[in-house]
Amino acid sequence: MMASKAIVVTGAGGVGKTTVAAALGVKAASQGKRTLVLTVDPARRLADALGVELGGRPRRHPELETLSAGMLDSAASWITVARRHADPEVADRLVTNEFFEAATIHFPASQSYAAAEEAIAYIESRKWDLVVIDTPPAAGGIEFFTAPARMSELVGGRLLRLLTGGRIPGRTALFNRGAKPLLRFADQLLGSDLLERVAQFAMDLRTTYDGVSRRSRAIEGHFRRATTLVVTTADPAPLSEAARFFMELPDVASAPKAVIFNRTLPADWVGAAIPPRTPTALADNLRRWEAEAHRQRDARNGFAARFRVPLVTIPWLTEDPTDRHTLEAVVDEASAWPDLW
Amino acid sequence: MTRLILVSGKGGVGKSSLAAGLALAHQRAGARVLGIDVAGTGGLAAHLGLTRLEFKPVEVKPGLDALTVDRAKALIEYLQVQVGLPGLATLGPAARFFDALASTAPGVREVVTLGKVIWEVLQRRYDIVVGDCPPTGQVTGLLRAPRTVAELVPAGRIRHQADLMSEVLDSSEQSELVLVTLPEELPTLETEETLEVLAKEKLIGSTMVVTNRVLPPLDTESKGTGVVAEAASMHRSLYRRQQQWLQRLPPRKTFPYLFGLLTESEVAARLSDEWGE
Repeated sequence: MMASKAIVVTGAGGVGKTTVAAALGVKAASQGKRTLVLTVDPARRLADALGVELGGRPRRHPELETLSAGMLDSAASWITVARRHADPEVADRLVTNEFFEAATIHFPASQSYAAAEEAIAYIESRKWDLVVIDTPPAAGGIEFFTAPARMSELVGGRLLRLLTGGRIPGRTALFNRGAKPLLRFADQLLGSDLLERVAQFAMDLRTTYDGVSRRSRAIEGHFRRATTLVVTTADPAPLSEAARFFMELPDVASAPKAVIFNRTLPADWVGAAIPPRTPTALADNLRRWEAEAHRQRDARNGFAARFRVPLVTIPWLTEDPTDRHTLEAVVDEASAWPDLW
Repeated sequence: MTRLILVSGKGGVGKSSLAAGLALAHQRAGARVLGIDVAGTGGLAAHLGLTRLEFKPVEVKPGLDALTVDRAKALIEYLQVQVGLPGLATLGPAARFFDALASTAPGVREVVTLGKVIWEVLQRRYDIVVGDCPPTGQVTGLLRAPRTVAELVPAGRIRHQADLMSEVLDSSEQSELVLVTLPEELPTLETEETLEVLAKEKLIGSTMVVTNRVLPPLDTESKGTGVVAEAASMHRSLYRRQQQWLQRLPPRKTFPYLFGLLTESEVAARLSDEWGE
């Protein structure tokens, strides 16, 4: 049997990505597909609406048996990677190294990488027909997809190669003749023995390279086979980011199958007549929202013309979904969807 | 003294537009202003009506310059000018070595990025430096960078440079972080968490919360008919929900929802009027 089908939902922060991912998952599950929804840090109310307690491992919905949901753990990322790919002894040394702790905070690609590795493990487990993945917002969008390559490069030890001229060194080789002037120079600048501690860290990290690079290639393969969807609103900034996804995703994953415009105002508000004797405040209100509906329509048409892509519109909901039925309604109330599962 | 105003917030709240608006407002008030794209997303450029920014400041209009922090160039400037290593260019392998160090050793990238911003503050060529920063998830790491370096590097010129940076950041007269939020659940919660971290670790001199895209009240009880009623009912429910979040996290300043604006520079221009008030 093939691995599960995967849908990866991307888009700028704050456009409703997680809601769309959850809604699609509920819809597929209610149509009988065994579906897993993987979210990252959902709003409390969205988690409640899904009706599955979100913990580390995916859990099954108490009533809708085909639906499972889980949360991708983005916090303990480096530790997971180190424990998975390094010898126990090296892993212990890694996670207690002062650079390791700082690196966890300072290299966000590691969080995306760990999240991707986890998501792909579920796809490969074949327990589900469909896995819907909500991408982490902190990753800065496209970085979720480039994280595997960047992670390989990092643990592959660019720093270490420069220090040692490319050989995988024993500890003494670090201080070979070629590197000596550099090290003296660096010691002067940084204070003593800092470099040695960096090198130890880099060498330990290097031992995870085979594991990480193998997984990276597998992850990239899954990204290329997955269906990607870009969620946006018609606001200028998210739209620019959506355009970036359309230009860059084909290089690192599959080209987006559709763009989803969330918070869409009714098309018939544009050019709507205002009945006589309407109170001024209400007339002004409609004019304001009409201007907004007008701008939205222009933005949508512009985007569709530029990228020639199927366009799905979801109405602007004034109430958040509160249960799986109102979540499913998010999908039902949208315009027609392309074939997704 | 040059003032430093950093702008951050959850992704999608309008950081770049408010940072550009703030820079424009100060420029109009007669200050010499430098806008810096610290996040490197290009958002600041778009909101200032430019296609791109360079590492060297470009004049947006008289009194307002802008630049973006290119990490490789910032690193060389940092080592040559700030840390004071003349003749680095002749040390070809050293430059490569430090670039590798910057991408591997934690905190270096942040220190170089933030170093550029604070270097511009210390040059006193401008009255105000406005930084369009990465989202809240990363901005605490950025602000922590001088301390991270101070912990890891016991002595030397890099340590000295990090201490200079901390001095500027810690001053409540000189440095302020503007946290942009929206009257919605996730931005509010994330802003509260960030405020907590900032206060606990004392990462910056002062902090100010501003709320973006706030809807005006509808000054009538009547309901209307047809499309008028639809728009009114939608507005009322959105307004009610926003008010709840505004009460939970009262901002120092609010910015209105801008209806029907198409381009990023239109948005920034309108927001600069609001900052001016």
